[in-house]
Amino acid sequence: MLRFVLNRFLAMILTLWVIATLTFLLMHAIPGSPFNNLNGKVLSDAAVKNLEAHYHIDQPLPVQYLIYLKSIATFTYGPSIKQPAQTVNDLLGRGFPVSFELGMWALVVAVLTGVVLGIFAALKHNGLIDYLAMTLAVLGISIPNFVLATLLIQEFAVNLHLLPAGTWQGLAYMIMPIIALATGPMAIIARLIRSSMLEVLTQDYIRTAQAKGLPPFIIVMKHALKNALLPVVTVLGTLAASILTGTFVIEKIFAIPGMGKYFVDSINSRDYPVIMGTTMFYSALLIFMLFLVDLAYGWLDPRIKQSKEGSK
Amino acid sequence: MKKLCKNGFMLGLALLLVFVLGACTAKPNSSNEKSDGKQVLKLNNGAEPTSFNPPIGFDAQSWNALNNLMEGLTRLGKDHEPHPASAEKWDVSADGKTYTFHIRKDAKWDNGDDLTAGDFEYAWKQLLNPSTGSPAAFLGYLIEGGEAYNMKKGSADAVQVKAVDDKTLKVTLTAPQSYFLNMISNPAFFPVNQKVAEKNPKWYANAKTFVGNGPFKLASWKHDSNMVFKKSTTYWDKKSVKLDEVDWAMVNDTNTEYQMYKTGELDSASVPPDLANQLFKEGKVKVDPQAGTYFFSMNVKMKPFDNAKIRKAFALAVDNKQIVDYVVKQKNDPAYGFVSPGFKDPSGEDFRSHNGNLYKYDPSEAKKLLAEGMKEEGYKTLPPITLTYNTTDINKAVAEAVQEMYKKNLGVSVKLANMEWNVYGVDQKKGKFQFSRGSFLADYGDPINFLENFITGMPMNSMQWSNKEYDQLIKQAKNEKDDAKRYALMYQAEKLLIKEMPLFPVYFYNQSELQNSKVKGIVRHPVGYMELKWATKSN
Repeated sequence: MLRFVLNRFLAMILTLWVIATLTFLLMHAIPGSPFNNLNGKVLSDAAVKNLEAHYHIDQPLPVQYLIYLKSIATFTYGPSIKQPAQTVNDLLGRGFPVSFELGMWALVVAVLTGVVLGIFAALKHNGLIDYLAMTLAVLGISIPNFVLATLLIQEFAVNLHLLPAGTWQGLAYMIMPIIALATGPMAIIARLIRSSMLEVLTQDYIRTAQAKGLPPFIIVMKHALKNALLPVVTVLGTLAASILTGTFVIEKIFAIPGMGKYFVDSINSRDYPVIMGTTMFYSALLIFMLFLVDLAYGWLDPRIKQSKEGSK
Repeated sequence: MKKLCKNGFMLGLALLLVFVLGACTAKPNSSNEKSDGKQVLKLNNGAEPTSFNPPIGFDAQSWNALNNLMEGLTRLGKDHEPHPASAEKWDVSADGKTYTFHIRKDAKWDNGDDLTAGDFEYAWKQLLNPSTGSPAAFLGYLIEGGEAYNMKKGSADAVQVKAVDDKTLKVTLTAPQSYFLNMISNPAFFPVNQKVAEKNPKWYANAKTFVGNGPFKLASWKHDSNMVFKKSTTYWDKKSVKLDEVDWAMVNDTNTEYQMYKTGELDSASVPPDLANQLFKEGKVKVDPQAGTYFFSMNVKMKPFDNAKIRKAFALAVDNKQIVDYVVKQKNDPAYGFVSPGFKDPSGEDFRSHNGNLYKYDPSEAKKLLAEGMKEEGYKTLPPITLTYNTTDINKAVAEAVQEMYKKNLGVSVKLANMEWNVYGVDQKKGKFQFSRGSFLADYGDPINFLENFITGMPMNSMQWSNKEYDQLIKQAKNEKDDAKRYALMYQAEKLLIKEMPLFPVYFYNQSELQNSKVKGIVRHPVGYMELKWATKSN
């Protein structure tokens, strides 16, 4: 087990290095300059030169690449070009906790409601509840979250005055973003659970359990669900990484100070330190999540663990 | 199986209940919560300020807020003219080049320190220091030695800003220019508390360490989220300040901003593009002039725009009024000159009304000029023409309208191309476009700021235009002490610019916003930043 973890760890470092290099190349391949978008002002060449020297981007690319690798290894990404008073660590340090809080809630809501809907649909296969649940799921997948977000604001904030329209100041401010963010994943999870439940419920060991006289609740929750969860766990790894690091659109619509905007804004404004900070952070988190998924497989289905260890 | 379903159903019901309860117990923190008679203005800054370090935050999202936290030697009044602020009065030398400012005895920083002339000297040298990397440094080139220092050809000591004593600041300019007093109201020229800055170089990054000298004090600043300004107790003119508090949100989405305005969470909001037509028609939008011009630039180094008659034909064939009324639809004024209205010459006449409309929409004349130009150049058909713009909805709509007008009025098919802003800006500056959309927003309040952009080799001169007479006129104007003569030179220069037509203007910009009717007295200058000093909000 330890060897497995260690191997994976080395592979992670290698993957990160490949991502870092690709990001660096792509980032410098985008035409345009970070010093163009200053309030639509056209800067003189002298001003641009001073600014470039200030951010070391007047150096040759190989030198910049080394500076860049060093900053990744030491986690010091330096100041943002767009917000020079803030370092990239400052930006991520205050954005990530907000995105994480929102994302975590959304994940919890999505998984719980998704699983419940899925189970119901499977148990009432081809019944009214199944159709209702699946209609809901199809709607959830097809309505983009920004449309849902705007509709929610219009209805609950502007028309009904129940909830505040935006910003991030407490529980009431969290409800609509969580719903908007959770609906899509909820729908995906519901569909996955439904189809794998349908498969699992016809298997022999379920019939055995029923024959033993186990209560139906135990059968579903303990015996069937555990197996049916495998495909959900697979998508959950990538889903968690992307939701926890914030979503640009939802955070923009609800004016949430998370880190989602940096992914998009940094590229638009060619804010090189922030581009690399966000990419590396996201990649590291994603790789870690995939690692957790692999571990979870072993727990959910011992057969996978055995086959993996057997092959080594 | 039946029992199993029942259990699951109960679980689902429980979950639903949790949701509903959650929704009910949450109380929205909406409008009119603070009803203790305090005047609290709720504004949206759109995004996190770039920086509150005066020489760095060269944009509206930093300087609109900073303008109310700090104050320069002068401050723009309700009449948009510079008035004594941190400086109580000043003397100007006979040659108009040397200004001696006398700083108010009671001008203080909000940490209690005295505001000194040294703080100004320190700040202005920071602005010009090349290693500061200030995008606004060029504003300081008017100061003797400023340009050389910023270009790494001089030293800080050679910059002619000197604190004679604690309350006297002496500045020598490269040329006697009356707009200097207007220019120094700009946040780039705000003082910096030297004592604080030397102890903590990042003093401007947080509310705790920020020290200002303006009508408001930065009470809290949650980055990316919100700021709270409280009325300053140390400001020399605190009796004029009526608001107790300004709460700034940072909402970047115009639709959400509008919805928050509707629910009373904001007192002012920008006009969401999707609703603009309707809101303008309903008269709900407050419009203030803004010194700036939307124009099209024609590259005189590229065919067919090397021919002046063809350039003129392309200008005369565009109906600016129609574009303003039916395409942009935001109550802009069509432009037939480059300098926007709002600059008074010494006789009190507005620059724009003095020079008037320098050309007019005239499709038949345009057709004639095009034919003449083509004959001069020996064209049977025009070389292909591509109009390039940076991608926005409005630019697209305007470009399409222009394309249609050329087809109708000149019988010429123009191709359209669009580019993302950063790429566009770099290419345009290099003069790579044949025919492109340009925009100018004034940095300081004088027509010269508009006109100097088109002397040879300026970064805005994407049309690659070079005219000795024009360069000479601008040079003369920049060295002219007598304002009447200076204006005469500028009048002449603008006429020449439009006669040669390396560009043609389309419309003058304006500032439009929605504003709570209880709020009065927010001043939005045509050139300059938002002013809350005199704002009030009735309960």
